[in-house]
Amino acid sequence: MAGHKIAHATLKGPSVVKELVIGLALGLAAGGLWKMHHWNEQRKTRTFYDLLDKDEISVVVAE
Amino acid sequence: MIVLKWLFLTISPCDAAEPWQLGFQDAATPIMQGIIDLHHDIFFFLILILVFVLWILVRALWHFHYKENAIPQRIVHGTTIEILWTIFPSLILMFIAIPSFALLYSMDEVVVDPAITIKAIGHQWYWTYEYSDYNSSDEQSLTFDSYMIPEEDLELGQLRLLEVDNRVVVPAKTHLRIIVTSADVLHSWAVPSLGVKCDAVPGRLNQISILVQREGVYYGQCSEICGTNHAFMPIVVEAVSRKDYGSWVSNQLIPQTGEA
Repeated sequence: MAGHKIAHATLKGPSVVKELVIGLALGLAAGGLWKMHHWNEQRKTRTFYDLLDKDEISVVVAE
Repeated sequence: MIVLKWLFLTISPCDAAEPWQLGFQDAATPIMQGIIDLHHDIFFFLILILVFVLWILVRALWHFHYKENAIPQRIVHGTTIEILWTIFPSLILMFIAIPSFALLYSMDEVVVDPAITIKAIGHQWYWTYEYSDYNSSDEQSLTFDSYMIPEEDLELGQLRLLEVDNRVVVPAKTHLRIIVTSADVLHSWAVPSLGVKCDAVPGRLNQISILVQREGVYYGQCSEICGTNHAFMPIVVEAVSRKDYGSWVSNQLIPQTGEA
């Protein structure tokens, strides 16, 4: 395929596939960090409602 | 104990708009939790695409700087890459569409047998709430108006432009049906932490179903331009235990039966 290496007069030129793979890997890593944040938030929310249902915490101020 | 302290330090229910707020208010209904989860799912793809595109952009600028690459190449075709950059976005769209439609259809499901029906009627510039399930002896339903508390009448700790004189009191963990309409112009009954926004259209009844999962006070504002005081007709929903709700309804009805 013509796009594998960008032709250059003296140097070999960058590899398109390599750059795409690195870009995808970085994108997935960053997305993975966000997913970890999301799962952590979900876990905190689930824990909150579990404790609320078991009456271990309350959102009502005792008078 | 440490876990509880950590929870209290990091989870402080955000059920009203806060200065410099970036994210959503905390969810108090399954619908709002679904909306937040969908947002997180889409944001994953947003970050993936953003980082990928930025990387390719920066690398292209790096490799093809005029000092590094004096003679630009004219690439016209690249069949494989063109197929790839068509298929991958389609796959991403499919992965976004599946949870999106799941949420959309679940939001549209009507609760067949709600415990309570409340009517919210928009006026210029206040809301009227009717609890028609409870009729006193002269068939007058429990009805009241809800006006914003003006700034000069606020007490310490109350929220500016959000507090009202009479809140919508509802029982927590109970299926509710809210019927929204208007007596004059278009309004919209919106409470962000409940994941609710429903247009109030004159001559039309719009119905929404909600289930408030925890007790609390939830703030919202009219969300359809309705005149000069559009910004000054907020909504406050107070979710209480079923016992407290029963007491509140009884207290509201007593004066009406007394006058009959």
